[in-house]
Amino acid sequence: MGRTIVCRCEDVTIEDLKQAFSEGYRDLESLKRYTGFATGFCQGKCCLAHAARFLSALKGGDDTVADPTRTRPLLHPTPASRFAGAAEPMEDE
Amino acid sequence: MASGRRINLPEGSPFERGEPVQFQFEGRPVEGYDNEPLAVSLLAAGARVFSRSTKFHRPRGPVCLHGHCSGCLMRVNGVPNLRTCQTHCRSGAVVERQTGWPSTGLDLFRAVDLFSGERLDHHGMFTASSAINRLAGSVVRRLAGLGEPPSADPQKSVPVSRFKSDVVVIGAGVAGLAAGRALGECGHNVVLLEAEEHRGGRLLDMATPEGWKQAAAEKNQLESVAGIEVHVETPVLAVYPGDPLEVVASNEGETLFISARRLVVCTGAYEQVPLFENNDLPGIFGPRALDRLTCGYGVVPGEPLVLVGDRDETLRLAARLVELDVALAGVVTSRRDTPDLEAVRRKNVEIFEDRRIVCAHGGKWLDRVEFAPLNSPQRDLVLDCRTCAVEAPEAPAYELAHHAGCRVSFSSQNGYRVVVNDEGQTSNSQIFAAGHVTGATSVSEAARAGERAGLACALSLKDDNKIRERLKSL
Repeated sequence: MGRTIVCRCEDVTIEDLKQAFSEGYRDLESLKRYTGFATGFCQGKCCLAHAARFLSALKGGDDTVADPTRTRPLLHPTPASRFAGAAEPMEDE
Repeated sequence: MASGRRINLPEGSPFERGEPVQFQFEGRPVEGYDNEPLAVSLLAAGARVFSRSTKFHRPRGPVCLHGHCSGCLMRVNGVPNLRTCQTHCRSGAVVERQTGWPSTGLDLFRAVDLFSGERLDHHGMFTASSAINRLAGSVVRRLAGLGEPPSADPQKSVPVSRFKSDVVVIGAGVAGLAAGRALGECGHNVVLLEAEEHRGGRLLDMATPEGWKQAAAEKNQLESVAGIEVHVETPVLAVYPGDPLEVVASNEGETLFISARRLVVCTGAYEQVPLFENNDLPGIFGPRALDRLTCGYGVVPGEPLVLVGDRDETLRLAARLVELDVALAGVVTSRRDTPDLEAVRRKNVEIFEDRRIVCAHGGKWLDRVEFAPLNSPQRDLVLDCRTCAVEAPEAPAYELAHHAGCRVSFSSQNGYRVVVNDEGQTSNSQIFAAGHVTGATSVSEAARAGERAGLACALSLKDDNKIRERLKSL
């Protein structure tokens, strides 16, 4: 099946965005929550700008999509073991 | 497995091959070189489908080769979900694909893609009763999952190192190197953190030895300045606002919690693949990723190739590839008569003007791409190819500045970029940013902005007439 993939991690297509928009999800945050783009492994590195561009085109201007969705740590996938050592008391404490 | 091949490592490549090694891929022995990224070794060996997508089980492969996307995830030595483009090839490694049933290559759940029509709307599926919903939930989780839990021994905890620094610079690309050096020259102690193995950022992906030379020269200059501590393969994971700012970074050997008075964000931009039908087919890359793969690592994933784009870098890559005797099926561009295009034409590679890519075709790997004129939906060109690099606007890596509340702004051309004043200061007066993360469009612009931000940052820590003069003169 021919598909135009906006978000690879969650398999969100351009048709999904169009459908969500027509159902009334017309800001980036609710579009994200409804379709699931930017919620996968890469956390939006490969799709957020595409989705914002889609929204901007439909809403008629870049200033209509002013803010990106909330950005949260961690930026890169990281093994939990990297933080296991942080619980140990520090020498200077 | 077929048709990936190695070419001689281009002279001057910073991505030197280590000793030849053998590792296991899906139970079969595969040759690679010590230390090169596993994804590169696998593409050279002709591996095709690296993974299957979550919902439609579409075939996926490496795309960005810089650790940003999810295309190359595999299970390595019993640890699932490793980005094979960021995992070194080592002798005896056991590498397995982790998605699809009965195997990633032959995944029967591909049927979901083939028979579900234009959209698969999961919002109303299996919601007739809560029992059905629970059952479907557990099945779907297995179908969509990211492999099995690890079978390797639990990883040992990593020592934590907490320290203070005047300034943390994030990213050792063009802008970050310039900013770090300027700050060091002003007498501040600087911690420069780079996510990847090599310093240089996009200087390493410029299809010419000049970029590599410049990266090496920058490295030497940086090392001649006292007070700059560089950590590579140490991605920054989080930035917390406050005075001091808290920066969290991590590498294999230690986790860093750094209290910094100032921060310079030079995280660059993520390469994107544009939106067109079947844009996720393995074999489609961005030009920067293809550059790293071919000119950097000396691996051609499949021939012939098609390059689509107008940027200088893309045309230079085309010229470089014909020079390296890589087979090109065409270059599609709106540019005219550049020296690089002339070089391509001289090798009898056809140049197609003023078209946009509309569709890719192939089963598990790219077979051909279709084009239409810029202002018409009518497809009028089909090119058979096994690798295609297509330009798209990059997406600035604004996230870390956004963690700390810096203002970002959107434009269709640039995506979300960090907003800075003329001296590189963001809306948070302790945080500066420079280069492609702020929407810079060229390497030289990024270098200038990096130096400016470094000097302005130094001034904000300690006023000094000489520095003020140097900043003014830029």
